[in-house]
Amino acid sequence: MHLYQILRRPLITEKHTILQTQGKYAFEVVAEASKPQIKQAVEKAFKVEVAAVNVMIVSGKRRSRGRRQLPAHPWKKAIVTLKPGDKIEFFEGV
Amino acid sequence: MVKVTNDKTENSQVFLTIEMAPAEVEESLEKAYYRLVQRTRIPGFRKGKAPRAILERHIGKESLFEEALNNLVPQAYEQAVKEQEIEAIAQPRIEIAQTDPVIFKAIVSLKPKVTLGDYQHIRVTPEPVAVTDSDVDAVIEQLRHQQATWEPVERPVDFGDLIVLDIESDTAGKPFINQKGAQYQVLHDLSFPVPGFAEQLAGMKKDEEKEFKLQFPSDDPRDELAGKEASFKARVSEVKQEVLPELSDEFAREVNPDFKSVDSLRERVSSDLKLRAEEKARIDFEERVIDAVVELSQVEFPPILVEAEVHRILDQRFQRGNQALEEYLRSINKTEEELHEELHPLATRRVTRSLVLAKVVEEAKVEVSDSEIDIEIGNMTKNATENKDKLEKLLNTPQARESIKQTLIARKAIQLLAEIAKEVKEIKTLQKEAQK
Repeated sequence: MHLYQILRRPLITEKHTILQTQGKYAFEVVAEASKPQIKQAVEKAFKVEVAAVNVMIVSGKRRSRGRRQLPAHPWKKAIVTLKPGDKIEFFEGV
Repeated sequence: MVKVTNDKTENSQVFLTIEMAPAEVEESLEKAYYRLVQRTRIPGFRKGKAPRAILERHIGKESLFEEALNNLVPQAYEQAVKEQEIEAIAQPRIEIAQTDPVIFKAIVSLKPKVTLGDYQHIRVTPEPVAVTDSDVDAVIEQLRHQQATWEPVERPVDFGDLIVLDIESDTAGKPFINQKGAQYQVLHDLSFPVPGFAEQLAGMKKDEEKEFKLQFPSDDPRDELAGKEASFKARVSEVKQEVLPELSDEFAREVNPDFKSVDSLRERVSSDLKLRAEEKARIDFEERVIDAVVELSQVEFPPILVEAEVHRILDQRFQRGNQALEEYLRSINKTEEELHEELHPLATRRVTRSLVLAKVVEEAKVEVSDSEIDIEIGNMTKNATENKDKLEKLLNTPQARESIKQTLIARKAIQLLAEIAKEVKEIKTLQKEAQK
């Protein structure tokens, strides 16, 4: 798997915005990605130094599709802690 | 703080350039953020919880800026106007020239300036009113035509006759007019249905049939027919001649049972004509007097008044919200702007006149008392029969009274000017001045 395919999208929510003040940034990543891969990917994409990576599987919620309730796909979320002082500009305003 | 520069004053308009201090803009942006964030839903955030950076990215910096300016600009404008001691009469026209730092231009309309000329000494001679015998004759002739009867005759069609005819026609293969027993008055130079149609019919005998071709003129208003050729088949079934009633006492009674003889009819017609002519002369005279006063005066007013007047004229002609205006525009093939442009001179004239009259009212201290309004309301309701009470109530509302008052004041002012112009008033004013 190529490095560029690891990170799927940044997660920008109220909760993650609060975490940003502690230098923690959240991403949705591909399910097969490992912590070292994520670390590499973030370092390369944003030119920052990563201190730690935590991952979790987010189980899919039930989604109604038409009349039926179908389970959505589970996905992997990564919380990346940067070296103190580093920032990812992308998450901030334009 | 705001920095205001007064660029120039022109046509009762002040051009201001207002520059905002960056700190003030920032403060306003912050406020705008708080307002906007409360009502913007951004995925991932509860309402009102998104940080400014996220909001800016979500709705765009421009929207935030716009929201800020919407509040900031009127405030700054107000401050600027106060600072410059400007008396504005309408909403300014504001144009944002630049955003960093924020600079905007405001065009402020000022109160119109009216300087009356020496209106105490205008002289206008009223046109003499004259009703000649031939005028009276013409009216009576018209009355005879109205009372005329149509009698069938056995002779070829002549101009002035009323004929009954069956007609079949088509243009370029399409049926045009097909009618049996149509009534048609044969007159010279009648362009209906086609120019030359009447001329073709003249000379035909009863029960005669005729076929002819005619060309529509190329500037015919009916687009689809212009320049086309039409063929007609006409059959005259009846020829009627106009028989004018004899000018006799009987005819006079026929017109109105009140008239005993031709002489009394003549008298009445002549007095009616005279009344009408006098009324017209009076209006003409007043027009000329006002024009003369306007001519003497110097009036300066912002163009916004003219625009408002144009809108008022259009509103009067076409009820607001109606389709009529659009239809009218289509029918005369003009855009709204062109129509506005067209009404411009008229509106300008009206504005100037009303401003001058208002000034005359002010200077001459024209006043209308409550009792005069009551009398006017009485006059207005006098002719009403059915819902007199309702009408009276309607006219007695404060708004209606105010508008009646305005009308009366205007009328009085015009009367005053007319009297001055006729030199009736001059003696009185001179006496007043002497007393002072």
